[in-house]
Amino acid sequence: MTIKLDRRQFLMGSSALLAAGAAGVSPAWAQASSLRLIFWGGQDRADRTYKVADMFTAAKGNDIEAEFLAWNDYWPKLATQTAGGNAPDVIQMDYRYIVEYAKRNAIAPIDDLGAKLAEAGFDADQLEGGKVDGKLYGISLGANSVATLVNTGAFEEAGIELPTNAWTYDDLMEIGEAFNSANIRGGMRAIADGSYSEPMLDNWLRQRGKALYTAEGKLGFDEQDAVEWYQLWSKLREAKVCVTPDNQALDTGPLETTMLVTGKAALMPSNSNQLVAFQGLVPDKLDMVGYPRIAEGVGGGHYRKPSMFFSVGNTAADKEAAASFVDFFVSDPEAAKVLGVERGIPCLPATRDVVSPTLDGPNQIALNFVANLGDLLGPLPPPPPAAAGEVDSSLIRTLGQEVGFGAKTAEQAGKELVEGASAILSRAAS
Amino acid sequence: MAVAHETTTGIDAAPRQQSAFSRFWQQNGAGYMFLLPWLIGFFGLTLGPMVSSLYLSFTDFDLLTSPDWVGASNYVRMFTADPKFSTSMRVTMFFVIFSVPLKLAFALGVALLLNRGMKGLPLYRALFYLPSLLGASVAIAILWRQIFAGDGLVNKVLALFGIVGPSWISNPNYSLWTLIILSIWQFGSPMIIFLAGLRQIPQDMYEAASLDGASKWRQFWKITLPLLTPVVFFNAIIQTIEAFKSFTPAFIISGGTGNPINSTLFYTLYLYQEAFGFFRMGYASALAWVLLALVAFFTAFSFLTSKYWVHYDD
Repeated sequence: MTIKLDRRQFLMGSSALLAAGAAGVSPAWAQASSLRLIFWGGQDRADRTYKVADMFTAAKGNDIEAEFLAWNDYWPKLATQTAGGNAPDVIQMDYRYIVEYAKRNAIAPIDDLGAKLAEAGFDADQLEGGKVDGKLYGISLGANSVATLVNTGAFEEAGIELPTNAWTYDDLMEIGEAFNSANIRGGMRAIADGSYSEPMLDNWLRQRGKALYTAEGKLGFDEQDAVEWYQLWSKLREAKVCVTPDNQALDTGPLETTMLVTGKAALMPSNSNQLVAFQGLVPDKLDMVGYPRIAEGVGGGHYRKPSMFFSVGNTAADKEAAASFVDFFVSDPEAAKVLGVERGIPCLPATRDVVSPTLDGPNQIALNFVANLGDLLGPLPPPPPAAAGEVDSSLIRTLGQEVGFGAKTAEQAGKELVEGASAILSRAAS
Repeated sequence: MAVAHETTTGIDAAPRQQSAFSRFWQQNGAGYMFLLPWLIGFFGLTLGPMVSSLYLSFTDFDLLTSPDWVGASNYVRMFTADPKFSTSMRVTMFFVIFSVPLKLAFALGVALLLNRGMKGLPLYRALFYLPSLLGASVAIAILWRQIFAGDGLVNKVLALFGIVGPSWISNPNYSLWTLIILSIWQFGSPMIIFLAGLRQIPQDMYEAASLDGASKWRQFWKITLPLLTPVVFFNAIIQTIEAFKSFTPAFIISGGTGNPINSTLFYTLYLYQEAFGFFRMGYASALAWVLLALVAFFTAFSFLTSKYWVHYDD
């Protein structure tokens, strides 16, 4: 006997099948709550993070659904999800945004976890960096510092002595001239154009006893400082010590487009934790030194910055599970081995002890660099005001470029930087 | 038979008011049901967000906290105190004014060549159309970066002639032109429409003109172009709107910054920065409405002037 189905019965039957199938693959409600994790970074960071997420699932039973994006795409996505009441449970957070998210109750205080970690000896300054109005909103995933990355292969080929932490902007000038006379790799220059790098300007200002921003969220430098900054770089540019402006403009953010990776410069201002990622992209061996000093023996420009935090979303259904994942991430010894120092130097002494002997070349360099900053190290600055991001992208980046291309003089740019930044800051504060 | 009888008596017996709707439903119901997916999309994904963006344009809204009503101050700021607004407007106008006519001229030129009845026409048509399909894609924008970078394809070719070219895409003097060239390269869809238009022109006109001794050049200006004006008009409007909306190439090529020195800061890119870079959704909504008004103005202007230069047969 054959089974006959008319069209209607067939439709009903097949949709019932579909419904059954859908129910089968959706997560069963009885299981341990699953967690959503979001972070920014590249493939290397993602591989490590996913591996630790799997280890957590194996240990605690919570499934982890992780997602990663590039820095520029990360913040729009996070803001959109937060606005939609759909924020992830565990959120990678930056020093620049933590105040904003905490004040708007988008992330939850996690003081219990903080107390537990403090007992285990978590670096006090790194815990302090995650606090907003006295409550802890983020656990630092590692300390890092700004650093100049050095392509040692290029220095060797040009026969130039490597810079050390004692080096100054005058030394940079000499290195640049040496590179020009060596003329290697199709006219490789000494350094990328740092004139529109916010951290490099910040470092230079701190050495002069100033700062980008004050604790009250005002501008921490004046027109004279800004003009001198642009003059310094104009001098380096004219002497062909730094790359040409049209080359520098090719750097649009991704590591692959930077002057170090494209081989246009042998030195590049960056961060200590990024050495690992850059080493994966550059065939020559990389090393790092501090940013140049404004004069011999002047220090205090650098600081140990929480490279990034994990925060717990305020809409998380199971905040305890989310916090336990953060705890696992920073304190589990096996997880530490996987993570290395890719997000910065671990803040728990026990974790550092586990990690240190396992480190290969670039990771060891990063650890040593941050541990031995010596007199380069100054105090942690207050968190930047909310409009700092806009000052950076609308002014610092654009003005440096305008001076580079000769569209503005150093004097004009310095004046515009101070006036424009003050206007942006006061508008954001109103 | 019995069924048919019942139906007819049923209609007669039904009260008048009720039957108006049910008759409408019987006649058009199926049509609306078929339209339903589009209607849901239109109301849910187009009209709804548009209305809410109109509301948001009068507020301060940072996504994380609820919007604050600020009246027209977003619009006031735009026209009185925002240099980036005028920069982005200038960049966009430059792009529209140069890319649209050049693209149309190029499309018409290729259409004229293809219209001479050559072998393998469908193949060429498809090949020339291809860039239009790929044009707005991320992959092409990345390819463009490679071609026009300092050590890219263009400069390698120039190097053969001993010319050292600049890095076209990252030099503020040329960067916008590389985007204009990218736009011209996507001449496929206006070309297809021109080709269809050329087929509509009666051949006997050309025969008559040839007998009178008119040159090809004269035939083009006196027959082809005038009879093609409705198609030119259509293409111009579509391409102008497209050009105003252009976003992806500038976004990818400049890494979302509109650099070098804001030379590729398209209006849409600035809007995106305000919305998703600085989280000023209210201001970005206001920018979006100004763009809508601007596009509407240009379209209306084209329609108003069309009677002076567009020739319809009938």
